[in-house]
Amino acid sequence: MGQNGCVPFLLLIEDDDAIRTALELSLSRQGHRVVTAATGEDGLKLLREQRPDLIVLDVMLPGIDGFEVCRRIRRTDQLPIILLTARNDDIDVVVGLESGADDYVVKPVQGRVLDARIRAVLRRGERESSDSATFGSLVIDRSAMTVTKNGEDLQLTPTELRLLLELSRRPGQALSRQQLLRLVWEHDYLGDSRLVDACVQRLRAKVEDVPSSPTLIRTVRGVGYRLDTPQ
Amino acid sequence: MTPRSPGDDGTSGTPADGGASDARDTAGRESTAAGSGRRPTRLLRRAAGLLRWTSLRLRLVVVFALVALTAAVSASGIAYWLNRNTVLDRTQNAVLKDFRKSLEDSTRSLPLRPRCSELQDAARQMAAGPQNYTVLLIGLDRAGKECAATTNKDLLTLKSVPQSLRNAVDQVRPVDESNHFAHHLYWQRKEVGDVPYLIAGAKVIGGGPTGYMLKSLATERQDLTSLAWSLGIATALALVGSALLAQAAATTVLRPVQRLGYAARQLGEGRLDTRLRVTGTDELADLSRTFNRTAERLEQRVEELSAREAASRRFVADMSHELRTPLTAITAVSEVLEEEADSLDPMIAPAVQLVVSETRRLNDLVENLMEVTRFDAGTARLVLDDVDVADQVTACIDARAWLDAVDLDADRGIVSRLDPRRLDVILANLIGNALKHGGSPVRVSVHTEPAERPEAAERTEAGERTELPEGPADEGGRLVIRVRDHGPGIPDEVLPHVFDRFYKASASRPRSEGSGLGLSIALENAHIHGGEITAANHPEGGAVFTLWLPMDASRLADGAERADGGTSGGGGEGTGGER
Repeated sequence: MGQNGCVPFLLLIEDDDAIRTALELSLSRQGHRVVTAATGEDGLKLLREQRPDLIVLDVMLPGIDGFEVCRRIRRTDQLPIILLTARNDDIDVVVGLESGADDYVVKPVQGRVLDARIRAVLRRGERESSDSATFGSLVIDRSAMTVTKNGEDLQLTPTELRLLLELSRRPGQALSRQQLLRLVWEHDYLGDSRLVDACVQRLRAKVEDVPSSPTLIRTVRGVGYRLDTPQ
Repeated sequence: MTPRSPGDDGTSGTPADGGASDARDTAGRESTAAGSGRRPTRLLRRAAGLLRWTSLRLRLVVVFALVALTAAVSASGIAYWLNRNTVLDRTQNAVLKDFRKSLEDSTRSLPLRPRCSELQDAARQMAAGPQNYTVLLIGLDRAGKECAATTNKDLLTLKSVPQSLRNAVDQVRPVDESNHFAHHLYWQRKEVGDVPYLIAGAKVIGGGPTGYMLKSLATERQDLTSLAWSLGIATALALVGSALLAQAAATTVLRPVQRLGYAARQLGEGRLDTRLRVTGTDELADLSRTFNRTAERLEQRVEELSAREAASRRFVADMSHELRTPLTAITAVSEVLEEEADSLDPMIAPAVQLVVSETRRLNDLVENLMEVTRFDAGTARLVLDDVDVADQVTACIDARAWLDAVDLDADRGIVSRLDPRRLDVILANLIGNALKHGGSPVRVSVHTEPAERPEAAERTEAGERTELPEGPADEGGRLVIRVRDHGPGIPDEVLPHVFDRFYKASASRPRSEGSGLGLSIALENAHIHGGEITAANHPEGGAVFTLWLPMDASRLADGAERADGGTSGGGGEGTGGER
């Protein structure tokens, strides 16, 4: 993503004036450049016009809600999305993660926590090594940060890419959800394992031949996930 | 010298004897009839030993049977008695009439003092009549000697005639206006062997011979015996019929009663929409209508109450939800203020600090309220993961900077399937509570127990999660985490309330003791895992909170997990299961 060492550029979509103003203030003080939108429609317009690095998205929005905004963004863009949920219902989290969000924070959110999550998400797009690995028809180019399947480029979000990279770094070795949460999401010990599950689901949908019977990213019962080289 | 037999005066005979034998006879007959009726009663009584006496059905049958028995026995008895009298009277009258006539006829032709052979002839002549009785004639012959002529020496001699009858026959009664004759015809019944006989005697007035006759009543007895048998059988049939009727009546009465009982049980089990179909206009239909009305009222009332309760819960949920929007804004801004606190006016800085810390408290309170409303609404879900319990406890303590104050006794390698966030909530609340009220050192020990649930875990919370793991889910045993402090312990009167919401041990307690929801939330979190928390005082002082959790709570997370793996890839956890 294009921060290139500059100030991260965020789009905050939040309908409540007070929260929008307060978060804008807080995030700006943490060193982010923030543009805000009060509705999903405005947010999508701003996204096209300004190309931010990351979106902080409230779930409860008038008009089209956060989930729908998330789904619409995912149709064309792979930029990171962090959901602001009320967590009144755990279902919100699940639906949010399924519609393609990379992470979520629960209101009332502390500015510092949100900042840490934002930076963690942005870090996922950074390259760190310059080799590549092949798993069957899947080629992971770590220098170009691209993944190809049968020669075709796959559009992965930074989180999905980072998850695949972490798994591919230890082929055949099972990683627990908590490990993956630390490695990919940089969450503390209390990370929500549903983040991993949702991301694995999305990743499978993109890299597996038949997502419902995965041959690459395998579930290890009682442990977590591992990446296998297909036989 | 006409035989002054007293006409149809049979009844004026010897009522004492006749009556006595009558009574015996009747009693004998009756006992036969009753005997055939008593047999089913005895059977019933034996059956009663097997059946409950309290059973309405049995009582009905017994009452019906008793009524039928009484009716049948009295009807049979009266019928028998009337029949018997009629039959005996008719026979007797015919015989006596014939006897009197033939005695008159045969003695008229006899001389005053006949010879024995003449007497014998006369007796034989009398006995040859259609009534077929035996005759004994006693007369004085010319020599003044008593001569007894009998047609059957074995059956009828003077000795076999009862003395009382002889006395009555021989007695001379004074003749006056009410009694025209000195002698009467007397009769009596007696039994020789097993055969009943009618014996009668009369003295021919004017010094004629005395005649006795003996008539067998065997035919009559036979007739009466078969009558008694018929009546007995009829009684038995009536009993059987009454039992069947009682059974049918009991069924018609009891079926609605059973339906009513079933409906009442249903109602008691909480199915408040239970109603009875009302048919007819009898008392049972009335009862059914009453039941329906009661159930309806109850349902209405419960609906009202639960609607009210749901409304108040919704209110709390909505309110805490609404509180969160301003809180989010305040929290975000208060952090900015906090960072600037050092550069602020020293008069203002404490105010800013207060705002920041109270905002945090408010955040915790609202968060806890939301958690509680989730439990109340039954929307709380388990997000299970396999965790190393020792690591989890360490991380929980570490994250809150309690490592110095907590003494941890836990082996690594105890891997349990549970919701790590909820375990953290439980631990943080238990340990935090111990530190706050008990004081260090707080000792936390972790170990496992073989499968055996605490009885307390039978208690289940309201909502859908009422199942407790059984069988395979419990095979892994349970996880036991004990948190013990070394404070003053919990007063006995507080102990039952430690898990109550907003329970304060004393009114004077400072308000800075947390939200008042911590232990309640910890308990709810244990319950949702199918576990339990108990509080007690250690004999050596200090409070002990014990948390039990199943090693594998996945049974309770129904629907929270779903295998997404195919045939080759094995199982996997889906995230869509909660929808």
